[in-house]
Amino acid sequence: MRSVFVRHRWEPYLWILPSILLMLVFVVFPIGIVFRLAFSRISRAGVVGEFIGLKNFQDAVSSTAFPQVMLNTAFWVVSVVGLSTLIGFTCAMVLNQPFRGRKIARSIMVFPWAASLVIQASVWNYIIKMEYGNLNNILLNLGFLQNAVNWRASYQIEFIWECAVGIIVTIPFVTFTVLSGLQSIDASYYEAATVDGAGFWNKLRHVTIPLVKPSLTVSTVLNIIYVFNSFPIIYTITKGAPANKTDTMVTYLYMLAFYDQRKGPATALSVIGFLILCVASGCYMLMTMRKEDSL
Amino acid sequence: MKTLSANPVPRRRILLLILSALLLTILLCSLTFLRFSSQLYVKRSPNTFVGDEKYKTVRQEVELQLEDFRTQGTDAVIEEQVIERVNSKNETTSLVIFTICAANSRSGWNLLSAGLPSSYLLALILVLSAAAWLLTLCSSFSGNRALGIASFAFSLAAFFLIPVIFNRLNLDLSRTAALAQSGGDTAALDRLRPALDRFLFGSTAGDQLDSMLSALKYNICAAPFLLLLPAFITVCASVLAACRPLKKTLLRVALYVSVILFSLFILYPFFVMFITAFRSNTETTDMYFLRILPSRWVFSNLGDILKRNVLRYLGNSLLISGGATIIALLCGIPAAYAMARMDFRGKKAYLGFVIMSQMFSPVVLLVGISRLMNTLHLNDTLMGLMFINAAFNQAFAIWLLRGTFVSISSEMEQAACIDGCSVLGAMLRILLPMAAPGIVTTLIFVFINAWNEYTVSTVLISTQTNKPITVGITQFSSFNMIEWQYLFAAALLATVPVIILFMLIEKHLAAGLTAGGVKG
Amino acid sequence: MKKFLSVILALSLFLSLAVVSAHAEDITLDVIIAQYGDNTQNWFLGEGMDGSNFVKKFEEANPGIKLNLEVVSWNDLYTVVSTRISNNNAPDILNIDVFADYANEGLLLPVSDYCPEELFNDFFPQFIEQSVIDGTVWAVPDLASARAVFYNEDLLREAGVDKVPETWAELEDASQAILDAFGGDVYPWGIDMTTDEGQAAFAYYVWGNNGGFVDENGEWALNTDANVEAIEYAIGLVNKGFTNPNPATQTRYDIQDMFAAGKMAMIIAPNQLPTYIKSKEGTVEPGTAALPHNEGATSSSVGVMDRIMAFRDDSAPDQAARNEAIGKFLTFFYDPANYVGWVSMEGFLPAVNSAVGALVESDPSFQAWLDVLGSAKFYPTTKAEWNDVKQGVIAVEQQALTGGNVKDLLDALQAQITGK
Repeated sequence: MRSVFVRHRWEPYLWILPSILLMLVFVVFPIGIVFRLAFSRISRAGVVGEFIGLKNFQDAVSSTAFPQVMLNTAFWVVSVVGLSTLIGFTCAMVLNQPFRGRKIARSIMVFPWAASLVIQASVWNYIIKMEYGNLNNILLNLGFLQNAVNWRASYQIEFIWECAVGIIVTIPFVTFTVLSGLQSIDASYYEAATVDGAGFWNKLRHVTIPLVKPSLTVSTVLNIIYVFNSFPIIYTITKGAPANKTDTMVTYLYMLAFYDQRKGPATALSVIGFLILCVASGCYMLMTMRKEDSL
Repeated sequence: MKTLSANPVPRRRILLLILSALLLTILLCSLTFLRFSSQLYVKRSPNTFVGDEKYKTVRQEVELQLEDFRTQGTDAVIEEQVIERVNSKNETTSLVIFTICAANSRSGWNLLSAGLPSSYLLALILVLSAAAWLLTLCSSFSGNRALGIASFAFSLAAFFLIPVIFNRLNLDLSRTAALAQSGGDTAALDRLRPALDRFLFGSTAGDQLDSMLSALKYNICAAPFLLLLPAFITVCASVLAACRPLKKTLLRVALYVSVILFSLFILYPFFVMFITAFRSNTETTDMYFLRILPSRWVFSNLGDILKRNVLRYLGNSLLISGGATIIALLCGIPAAYAMARMDFRGKKAYLGFVIMSQMFSPVVLLVGISRLMNTLHLNDTLMGLMFINAAFNQAFAIWLLRGTFVSISSEMEQAACIDGCSVLGAMLRILLPMAAPGIVTTLIFVFINAWNEYTVSTVLISTQTNKPITVGITQFSSFNMIEWQYLFAAALLATVPVIILFMLIEKHLAAGLTAGGVKG
Repeated sequence: MKKFLSVILALSLFLSLAVVSAHAEDITLDVIIAQYGDNTQNWFLGEGMDGSNFVKKFEEANPGIKLNLEVVSWNDLYTVVSTRISNNNAPDILNIDVFADYANEGLLLPVSDYCPEELFNDFFPQFIEQSVIDGTVWAVPDLASARAVFYNEDLLREAGVDKVPETWAELEDASQAILDAFGGDVYPWGIDMTTDEGQAAFAYYVWGNNGGFVDENGEWALNTDANVEAIEYAIGLVNKGFTNPNPATQTRYDIQDMFAAGKMAMIIAPNQLPTYIKSKEGTVEPGTAALPHNEGATSSSVGVMDRIMAFRDDSAPDQAARNEAIGKFLTFFYDPANYVGWVSMEGFLPAVNSAVGALVESDPSFQAWLDVLGSAKFYPTTKAEWNDVKQGVIAVEQQALTGGNVKDLLDALQAQITGK
C-alpha cells in the first residue's frame, strides 16, 4: 500500500509511538520484572533476593502437582476454546437466519459477555451447591427430581462444571465474530452453489467455512490467550481443591504465590506459561497466515 | 384453497389420525394417568434384631397404624427391610425399617374431579385438544387453511401444557408434603387439603392427612407424559390440515424451540442472580427448597448495599473504565491507522509485539505491575488502573480498529491529501466519521474489559473509597459468611447498566466485528 | 497523541506527588485490617460505631496522625500483603493471622518498641507467648476464638443418641445411629478440609489422638503414627458417609448453614456459632461439648488467634514519632470503650483483661469460653515453616480424600518440611 499517506519515513513510527509507549511502560516493564523475579530468590514474605539461575524453574517443574496441572490446563484450553467455537459457530448460523424475534435472541446472546467473570462464576457457584443451590431448587420444585442431587460429587465433575461455565461465557465472543463474517458473505455465493446443486452440508463446507475463516483466525488466537489466562472461574468455584486437582496453570501459580508463599516457582511458572502461549499462538498464526498472507 | 388443491392430503388419513388421538387420550386418561405407591408411614428402628423383644413391640406399633389406615379404607401393606452393619466396636448392629405402603392408581378422571390446581390444567388440555380436533376436521372438510392453522395453534398449546400439568401436580403434592413436614405456612396447606384428600385417598384420610403427606414426599411417577403421544398425533394431524409442507414446518418449529431453549439457558444465571438479590438472608440458604421465587421480595437489600458504598464503587468503575477507554482509543487509533494505511519497516514485528503483550495475564504480572505503580507514584490511584486497563486492551483495540479502517476505501482520504489536507486532518474529517461503528464497538469492548477487571484492582487500590465495583462486592463474601443476597444485589447493579449498553450497540457489534474480521 | 500522553503522565505524576507531600507534616499510618464479618468495614470506615467510625474518632482524638485504613477480605489479604511487601510498600500496621515469616525476615518492629507498657501488661500472657520468637514479642493478639463441638439436641434425641459422643468410637456409633434414623436427610458430622481452613481439621483430629504438629522438643513431627491414625480416622468418617459430601470445597460457612438449618447434627465450630445461627434466623439451639478424642487420648480445645503487628519503615523521617503514633493506635483500639464493641460485634473473644468485665456482664456465657480458651492449644505459628506446614497438611487431607495413602503423604510432607 505505497501511498500518499507517508510523507517522511519516520512518520508511521510517530503514529504508532503512543501505543508502543503505553505498552512498553505498562505491560513490558512488568513483564521484565517478572522475568527478573523468575531467576531470583524470593523470600516467603516476598522480599526479593539474589540471582539463582534456573532453580525456580526446577522447583516449579518438579513439584508433584505440576503434571496434573498441565493436563488440566490442556483440557481446559482445548475443551473451552474448541466447544465454544463449535457452539458459537452453530449459534451464529442460527442467528443469521431470518426469523421473528431474532433481534431479541441476539440481545440475549450478549448477556454472558456483558457480565463480569467474577460475578458469573459466583452465580454458577451458587447454582450448583448441593444443599441450597438453585439448580436443585428449581428441579425439585418443578418436580423433575425427587431428592437433592450432589452436582459436584467429585473433583472431575467439578472441573467439568468449570469448563462448562468457561464455555458459556466464551460463546458470545465467538458467535458475534462468526456472525460478522457470515453477514459479509455475498448472497450470490449461495445462489451459485444452489444452482450447482449443493446441499446444506456442501454449502457449509465449500462456501461458509472458507469465507468465515479469516475472522475466526485472529479471534481464536485471542481466545486461546484469554482462556489460558482465565482466572476467576476456577478460583471462585473450587480454588483448585482438592490438592490442585482442578487447578489450571494460572490459578495454580496464584495459589503457589499467595497461599503457599512460594513466589519464586510461581513466577517461573508464569514465564513457562508465556513461552507455551508464544509457541502455540505463534504456530497457529504462522499456519493460518501463510495461506492468506493477510498482512 | 390453493395449497390444498395443489397438495391434497387424503381426508381419510386425517380422520384416522384424529380418531386415534381421541381414542388414545380417552384410554390414557381412564387407565393410568397417575400411578403412585405412597409410603404412608415409615418407622426406622435401629439396634433391632428380627424376632427380639424390641422388634415385637415396634412391629405391633406398626400394625396398629396399619389397622388405622385399613379402617379408613386405604388399601395398604407393611414392608420390612433389615440392614446389618458392623460398628466401630466390632459389634453387629442392625436397622429395621418398617414401611406401610399403599399402592394407589388414580386415573385422569379422578384428577379432573379432584379440584386441584392441576385438575384445571388437565381440563384445559382436554378442551384445547377437543378444539384442535374439531378445527382440524372442519379445515380438512371445508378446505379452509386458516382453520387448520388455528387447530395447529391449539394443539401446540395443549402439547406444551402437558409438562406443566405434570410439574404442577408434583408441586401440589411435594409442596404440601414439605409444608406438612416443616409445619410452616398452613394456610396454603389448608386450602389444598380437601382436594388432595379427595384425590389421593378418596376422602378417607381425615385427620391423618398430614402424616400421610409427610410420608408421601416426592413420590409421583411421570405418567402424565404419556399424554404426549396423543398430543403429538394431534399436532401431526393439524399440520397436515394446515397443509404446509411438513418438513419446512417442523424445521421452523425446531428452530424456534431450540432458540427459546438456548435463550432460557443463557438467561438462567441472570434469573438466579435476580431472584436471589431479593431474597431474605435466611432464604438464600434455604435447604428445604421451599420456593423458586422469594417468599417475600426484600427490596431493602438494594438499599442496604447502597449504604455500603456501592454507588461510590460504581462511580469509580465508571471513571476507570471511561478513562481506560479514552486512553486506549487515543493510543490505538493512530496505531491502527498506521497499520491500515501506511507501509513501514517492522510492521510485522510491531504486530507480533502487540500480540505478545497479551500473553501474560494481569494476574501473573501482579508483582510487576504493583512495583511499576510504586515507581510512577500511581499506586492506589484510579489513574493507574486506567493506564493498566488501557494497556492490556491495546492489542484488541488495535486489531478491531485496523480491520475497520482497512475495510473502508482510502480513495477519499487520498484525494483529500492531494488537495492539501494534512494526513491527520484527512483521518479526523473523513475516516473517523465513516469508521464510527467500528470505533463504537472497540470503545465498548475496552470499556467492558476494564469494567470487569478484578485482580489488579484488588492489589493496587488500598483506599476503600477508590475501589471499583468488582473489588467492592467482595465485602459481601467475608470471613464470617457469604451474604448471597447482597453479593447478587450488587452484582445486579453492576451488570444491568452494562447489559443495557451492550443491547443498545448490539447492532453495531456484528458490523464492527465484520470490519475487524475481514482480512484479519 | 504522544504529547497528550506525556502530558497525562506528567500530570498524574505531579498530582500524586503533590498529594503525598501535602500531608508531610502529619504522620500517616497505612493500616490493613482483615474483614471478619459484614460489620467490620462499617465499624472502621462506615457508620457502624455509634453513627461514626473508628478512623474519624481516632483522628479526632489524635490530631497529627492520619489513618489510611483499608479493610481487606481474607480471600485477598495474603495477595495484597505479600505484593506490597515485594514492592517495599508494606503497611505500617497489619492485622492478619501469621507473623513468623515477616518476623524472621526482619520486617517487623518488636512490640516493645511501640506498645505502651500499660497496654502490654493488659494482654493475656498466654496469648502473648504465641507471638514470641527468640525471646522477642513480634505481634499482639487482636482477638481469639475457641472451637468446640456444637450439637443439635433435638436431632440426637430423635436418633436415640442419649450421650453426646466423647470418643471417636462413640462418634462413629452416634453418626451411624443418626444415619439410620434420618436416612440421608441429616448429615451426622461436619468436616471442613478446604483450602481456607483445612489446617483446623488437621488440628482437631491429631490433637484428639495425642499427636500434633510438633513433638515435645518443638520439632516438626507430622508423620507420627498418632497423626496418621487420626487423619485416617477423619477420612474414614467421610468415606463412611457420616459427613457433608464435599469436604474439600464446602467451607465452614456451608457447614454452619447446614447446622443452622437442622441438616447437620454435630459440628466443630468457633464460639460465635450461636450468633451466626441467629443472623440466619435459624431455630436450632445448639448444645456445646468438648472435641471428641481417641480412646486413651485426652481431649483438647483448639484456640485460634489473629494478630496485629507493625512493620519497619526505615524511610520514615522520625522513627520515634512513628512508633508513638503506632502506640496511640493500639491504645485507642484496645480502649475498652472501643474494643468491647469491636469484639462483641462479631462474637469473638477478647485478648485483653480490661475488656473481660464488660463482656461477661453483657453475656455470661463468655466466661465459660474464656475458660476454654485458657486451656486451649494453638497452632505452632511461631515456627518459620508454619505456612508451608499449613498448606501442606491441607494438601495431604485433600489428596487423602481422593484416595491417597495418608502415611505416604505425611512422610513426604515431613521430609519436605524438615529437609529445608
